[in-house]
Amino acid sequence: MSKPSMDRLSMNKQAAQHKQAFDEPLWWGLFSAGGVCFAVILPAVILFIAILLPLGLLPAEALSYERASALLFSVPGFLFVGAVVCLPLFHAAHRLRHGLFDISVGNDALNKKLMYGGAALLSVLALGLVIAGMLG
Amino acid sequence: MNTEQISTKRVSTHNIRTKHISVKRYLPDNPAEPYWQPYELPVDDSTSLLDALNHIKEQLDSTLSYRWSCRMAICGSCGVMVNGIPKLGCKTFLRDYEGEIRIEPLAHFPVQRDLVVDMEIFLEHLAAVKPYLIDDNPVKAFDPNAPETYQQSPAQLERYKQFANCINCGLCYSACPQFGLNQEFLGPAALTLAHRYNLDSRDHGKKQRMAELNRHEGVWSCTFVGFCSQVCPKNVDPAAAVNQGKVEAAKHTLIALFKG
Repeated sequence: MSKPSMDRLSMNKQAAQHKQAFDEPLWWGLFSAGGVCFAVILPAVILFIAILLPLGLLPAEALSYERASALLFSVPGFLFVGAVVCLPLFHAAHRLRHGLFDISVGNDALNKKLMYGGAALLSVLALGLVIAGMLG
Repeated sequence: MNTEQISTKRVSTHNIRTKHISVKRYLPDNPAEPYWQPYELPVDDSTSLLDALNHIKEQLDSTLSYRWSCRMAICGSCGVMVNGIPKLGCKTFLRDYEGEIRIEPLAHFPVQRDLVVDMEIFLEHLAAVKPYLIDDNPVKAFDPNAPETYQQSPAQLERYKQFANCINCGLCYSACPQFGLNQEFLGPAALTLAHRYNLDSRDHGKKQRMAELNRHEGVWSCTFVGFCSQVCPKNVDPAAAVNQGKVEAAKHTLIALFKG
């Protein structure tokens, strides 16, 4: 590294010293929770909804329209959407944000807003649909 | 099994052959770009990379510069890149390499000359996390008639022992892509030593260290690549320490939120 960039480094250092990252534990917590859901719950969901059901290995009425909507538009359904859609969204957003930093695309402050903002928006949409179904 | 079969399985000092080593040279007095210099030298099964560099320095080319001291993976000064992987010269044996061996200075550090790098930034990061016991008051007030040493149970020692084996060689910094992207990242060894002292029953400096760890350039710059733990010559497992540090930093933040 050249001398001027070392000087710039030490200048940045003074400015950034001891600035606490209060948001990072939140993103990391959501990332961790999402990772668990991705690894534990999603494979089971894919097995039942995307493999067993289309292959006709489950009873036809297992997820009939009436039964599926009754299951989804309920408190357990709300938690199900949170675990299968929202938390994995934040997990993916965290990976994308760090991936973009790794390949030096955009800047981290903007990427953070876009990625976590996108995850939050889609989460609100998903949970909002469940609530709308519960009320409607 | 005859004697010849046995000797080929053992480390032999009779099995002398020639190996090719290319060293990335950089001479600051000579403003040219760094260049690769090939050397050809006799090696046997016991020749370490450090032995080979010493042979080059003594017999072939006295202008080659590199750091070394202890020859037994304790001082941590002979770190270099071997075919692109950070290694200690004294712990790397040429018998394990086929074909040409390419030696470079440690990645992510400014090169001063040949294989000698400037580790200033690493030492700064190390100092920032206060890697020493803070307010380590003895169990009782000091009594000259019955002096008492610190007490620590084997279980308390076990909590941090693995993380205490760091020799500050800097291989993990060369392995870390995040340190490569952002030199302000405290990095594997510094974060590991911070964790080591946080886990020490004699220490009371956790609060001071958490302020350093809980920065963007602290534990949160780590993306758990894990290469640091693979290259560590002392099996310290910095990746585990840094990620345990994330849990601690998250707890620290939660407590700070409630305390206001």
